[in-house]
Amino acid sequence: MIRSHFANLVIFSGLVGVFFAFLTQNEPKDRVRVILILGGSMVVLSLIIAYVMYPFPLR
Amino acid sequence: MSETLVEQAGPKAHPAAAPFVSCVLAWLVPGLGHFYLGKRTRAAVFFAVVVGMFGLGVVSDGAASLFEPRQPLSFLATFDNLATGPIDLISRHHTYGSIVFTLPPDEGDPRRIELLGRLRARVRGVTYEYGNIYLLTAGLMNILLMLDCFDIATGRKT
Repeated sequence: MIRSHFANLVIFSGLVGVFFAFLTQNEPKDRVRVILILGGSMVVLSLIIAYVMYPFPLR
Repeated sequence: MSETLVEQAGPKAHPAAAPFVSCVLAWLVPGLGHFYLGKRTRAAVFFAVVVGMFGLGVVSDGAASLFEPRQPLSFLATFDNLATGPIDLISRHHTYGSIVFTLPPDEGDPRRIELLGRLRARVRGVTYEYGNIYLLTAGLMNILLMLDCFDIATGRKT
């Protein structure tokens, strides 16, 4: 059981990136590019959204 | 001339592969449809990703959804869980202690109270939300895999 939010984010993004890379691309080079772009953008965008939302109150 | 070249370059229907069979195999075991179509590497990766996602969902206290007629959206979540294939039964048994798909509609039904009690015990888990997302995503991925198998078998995709 992984409790770290960031670890879950990275694992989830990585798995989704690998899945869509193999689903949409045939060449290994293209697959690596999709994994990096898709997985990386999911992690980075999530951190940006979290940073923007940080000042908002929880309740 | 150019039309002939386009036809030659485009994907062709997979010989001797039935689209329906490949879709059913993809539902039975994630990746098996692609294995049947000769896409061995993709099959291994899809199996690892979908089953890994599902396993993370189970160990993270994710709960399989139950269909409740008064909440129509619960049908979508249950359908999504079922799209993972027979391994969905594992998460159902893990969550509810038995294989169950619907919540009894009667409020006073002891079975309904028992099932809701088991579900609430999971909801209290710290990683319940993570687990649910993993389980639902595994189901969505397997739906895409079934559609992909259909496209490959019918020649729409290589």
